[in-house]
Amino acid sequence: MRTALLIGLPKGRLFQGAIDLLSRAGIVTDGGQGSRKLTFSDAEGRHEFVALKPADIPIYVESGAVDAGVVGSDILREQDYDVYEPLDLRIGLCRLVLAAPDGADLREREHLRIATKYPRTATRFFAARNRHTHIVRLEGSVEIAPLLGLADAIVDLVETGRTLRENGLRVVEDVAPISAKLIVNRTAMKTRNSAIRSLITRLDAVVYANS
Amino acid sequence: MDPLSPGLPPGFRDLAFQEAARRRALDGKLAVIFDTHGYGEVLPSGIEFLDVYTRGNQVISERAFKFLDREDRLLALRADFTPAVARMVATRLGGAQEALRIWYSGNVFRRVKPRNGGYAECWQVGAELVAESSVEHDCEVLTIALECLSALGMGTAGVHINHAGVFRGILNALELPEDARAQLKSEIDHKDARALANHLEELGVPAAIGEQVHVLARSIGGPEVLREAASVLKDSESQSAIAHLQRVANGLAGLSERVTFDLTEIDELEYYTGIMFTLFSPDRRSPLGMGGRYDALLRTFGSDRPAVGFTLFMDSLMEGQ
Repeated sequence: MRTALLIGLPKGRLFQGAIDLLSRAGIVTDGGQGSRKLTFSDAEGRHEFVALKPADIPIYVESGAVDAGVVGSDILREQDYDVYEPLDLRIGLCRLVLAAPDGADLREREHLRIATKYPRTATRFFAARNRHTHIVRLEGSVEIAPLLGLADAIVDLVETGRTLRENGLRVVEDVAPISAKLIVNRTAMKTRNSAIRSLITRLDAVVYANS
Repeated sequence: MDPLSPGLPPGFRDLAFQEAARRRALDGKLAVIFDTHGYGEVLPSGIEFLDVYTRGNQVISERAFKFLDREDRLLALRADFTPAVARMVATRLGGAQEALRIWYSGNVFRRVKPRNGGYAECWQVGAELVAESSVEHDCEVLTIALECLSALGMGTAGVHINHAGVFRGILNALELPEDARAQLKSEIDHKDARALANHLEELGVPAAIGEQVHVLARSIGGPEVLREAASVLKDSESQSAIAHLQRVANGLAGLSERVTFDLTEIDELEYYTGIMFTLFSPDRRSPLGMGGRYDALLRTFGSDRPAVGFTLFMDSLMEGQ
């Protein structure tokens, strides 16, 4: 049995925010200096961290290969993962939106084609509105799809809205607010309860310091 | 498939020589324990009508391998032992009114998600005690489950015990519409204390009940968590569930080092009617087994007999040994 709690951190958009939070909670003590390595640990050896591709983090946590992880709710909602979600970390805040080319009226389209990295979330969104759509699953640069005629509209993350504007798109409707969550393996929560609870308490104190 | 490379479908595997011998040896150890406690072995049919797996709030039918017989009736490969045994007890052994002590060993088949490298065929060993609902019978089954783990070299493994009535009592007292109730259950399952508190406030739930939920969310430990829960829970269903767990604690006093009371979980599917428990080891990444009391399941097969039982996940137990 490993002694340190192993925590998966998402490479990319959320990484620095997660390191900052862990530093403010006193869990990472070197300001993330060690974070350029594949795995790194805190000074007391109570936590170990591994940087992973964001979309892989729920699978690592669900299987128990890592005990806990930080992941955007966009990824978490896209599939059903059997994990605990004890804390909303309030970082990586953005919106998942339905966006369409300026001037397009989606209500008039009979067979709406939607390009997205989130096919299941998009399908659920339109099903709840009784709207039958055709989903085109893309890996990235989704905003270009309407310009090239691949889709009528997109469902994608928006932070500032600049990328949308640059591609002649505007927000039609919000699909969901997005933020990063702490997720925890179901067995680790039981067999390592005090360590996990201490992690949650320390992060909670930092995230919600002002509320 | 390439005819030159015959192989197995994803999720399946063969056991050969040492692996098969190990399975036989472990099976033998468990057979001795069940025999000592007066449990008789059964082996229910490998194929059932799919209907067997859809009764009594089960969700396993979604994952069952399904096919049609010659008369186009839906069949399923054995996806879970408990309903198959319940069907067998109700249809073949239902006349008897004395206590039935049953154990089984065999494979279940479940369609797994292609990710995660999970197995679609899993070896399970378990026991069912079909007899009147009592603390003694609950403790008998829990004790045998721990004895099985010890015999398999997992003497440090323990059991987390809960009672379905704890949260159900609170939820029933709230008298929420079905969708709000479902959402609340899912939030309790996620263990996000803040989201749950906010939602309870939105629903206009009295602060005293919010406090009960808050106490349960951290109720994991020895018998002292039962005392704390007893002091805050007010509705009769929750209170009698806690009182029952206190009697279980007394009954298992000799095993207290391996017993954790864990009131943090909710029986989201409302399958259990009494105790529910999960077996964990500090050096395994997944549960070693689970069980509980499901007094309503046999009724769905036409035999109104209470039952309590457990299943060991033998693949989790053998992993890494």
